[in-house]
Amino acid sequence: MNSTGKEKKEKTATGKILSVEGDLRKTIKGLLKKLLKNNTLDAVLVPMKAPETESYAWVLLEDETLLDAADPLPPVMTVQGGRALDSITKQGDVYLKIGALMRPCEIRAAVELYKLNQVKLEHIHLISIDCPGALPLKEYMDNPIKSKENFEKIVQKGDKNEALRPVCQICQHFSLLSSPSTEETKASSSPDTENHSAADLHIGFFGGNGKKLCLTASTSKGKDLLEKLELSQDDSLEYWKAAGEKIRQSALKNRESFNKEWQEKIGGIENFTTALDACINCHNCMRVCPVCYCQQCYFDSKILENSPETYLQRAQERGSLRFPLDTLLFHLGRMSHMVLSCVSCGACEDACPMSVPVSQIFSMVGDQTQKSFQYVPGTDRNVPLPLQSFLKDEFCEVEIPCECDQSLLGKA
Amino acid sequence: MDKDFTPTIIGFLCNWCSYTGADLAGTARMHIPPSIRIIRVMCSGRIDPLFVLRTYLKGADGVMMMGCHPGDCHYQKGNYSTRRRYVMLDTILKTLGLDEKRIGLWWVSASEAPRYEKVTNEFTESIKKMGPNPVFKEIFI
Repeated sequence: MNSTGKEKKEKTATGKILSVEGDLRKTIKGLLKKLLKNNTLDAVLVPMKAPETESYAWVLLEDETLLDAADPLPPVMTVQGGRALDSITKQGDVYLKIGALMRPCEIRAAVELYKLNQVKLEHIHLISIDCPGALPLKEYMDNPIKSKENFEKIVQKGDKNEALRPVCQICQHFSLLSSPSTEETKASSSPDTENHSAADLHIGFFGGNGKKLCLTASTSKGKDLLEKLELSQDDSLEYWKAAGEKIRQSALKNRESFNKEWQEKIGGIENFTTALDACINCHNCMRVCPVCYCQQCYFDSKILENSPETYLQRAQERGSLRFPLDTLLFHLGRMSHMVLSCVSCGACEDACPMSVPVSQIFSMVGDQTQKSFQYVPGTDRNVPLPLQSFLKDEFCEVEIPCECDQSLLGKA
Repeated sequence: MDKDFTPTIIGFLCNWCSYTGADLAGTARMHIPPSIRIIRVMCSGRIDPLFVLRTYLKGADGVMMMGCHPGDCHYQKGNYSTRRRYVMLDTILKTLGLDEKRIGLWWVSASEAPRYEKVTNEFTESIKKMGPNPVFKEIFI
């Protein structure tokens, strides 16, 4: 048993190497083309630039000749990939093999949705790619040409630049090669080694200096893809992992100072309301959030509507009442619904018309809350959601002790 | 501190244990503080964190969640879920620096009337020390 486990480990520790011919994007597209051509995949889901504007959208491609217009490394995240995948499989499983080329945070959102029964992954091949980060959507739309130039530099250097969105600067899951989860997740001891990784196939380029790509498969589906690609050159992953690890360590440092900074900034009811003051209750953050999947949101329902008398009474009690109501309840409530699955993708902040730092607040709270359950969202398909599972002996300390416990015990 | 301050505490009590325990405490003429308003739920697992957040943001000075002891749930595992939800809620409030001490979870069984009396009195005292909920003063919530 032990020896087979070891063998498997060694097996996964190698990857296939592919040298980049000309352009990085072209090489990646070449891989997808090959998969479409030899019918390993029936369709691919990739980001593509809109023909007339500078915006990006997800397209489901069946014709490999149209792949030329696709962009596997878009500078912005207009629509979260998890959400795009959700809309494809909402009505049931697809019986065509679809390859989805997405950023790791989009893959992780898709895995969270899979756990929530919103995405069917049986025929979907998740292909993740090293993510250089994404630029803030608003700044990009103001000056697309300059932003793109900036982004190219970031792609080449592979460092977490300050031009990126704040949540991208602290992201530790930009590459599945050096993702902290693969070693840390508890379920690694479970006998079923299949599906322990988020993505089926990972394309890494951090550490390749723009000359090489590294492909690794972590599931049988991914291995199948890799086989069909017919890449000959093997390489150990050590070097590639080290390259990612370097970036991850600096991101980890950023994360610590980020958490501290935000905790000070929004700590306490007064600071917290100030941080959300600008909110106009448009609920955009909820609509674009990949893990906010409810068909009917509680905060859009009529439950929160009251009679004018109630409002008058509330205004009387407090002195005055702001409209629209329940801003704090919306954000705190949404937090209580999805924060354990928050993948810190930053879609909410990109969508906010008032530039409320929603993604930063949610990322900070999410990080702390997920830590209390030792849960890393979207990394392992077999680890259940924290609120859908429990252990009998855990968190015994949360119950507030009472003096009478002792006396009652004494009596017994 | 205002000595006459009587806090408003909302208690979510599970039908099978805590509510019956509270009932027993009443029949036994135990002293229960007037600050607690009880909402009966069929199981502590029914307490959506949103219920708690709503009462807290509407200005309740304290929120008590009570259920059967772990292992005693009438529906086998409802209170285990409650415990996890409570941990999540507690961490969210702690991280945001909101008074997480105003919200508490206790296990009170149907026969534990003395415990119910003690717990409610102790919690009322601690809320009295904390004073009124500052959220109530915030207009921009």
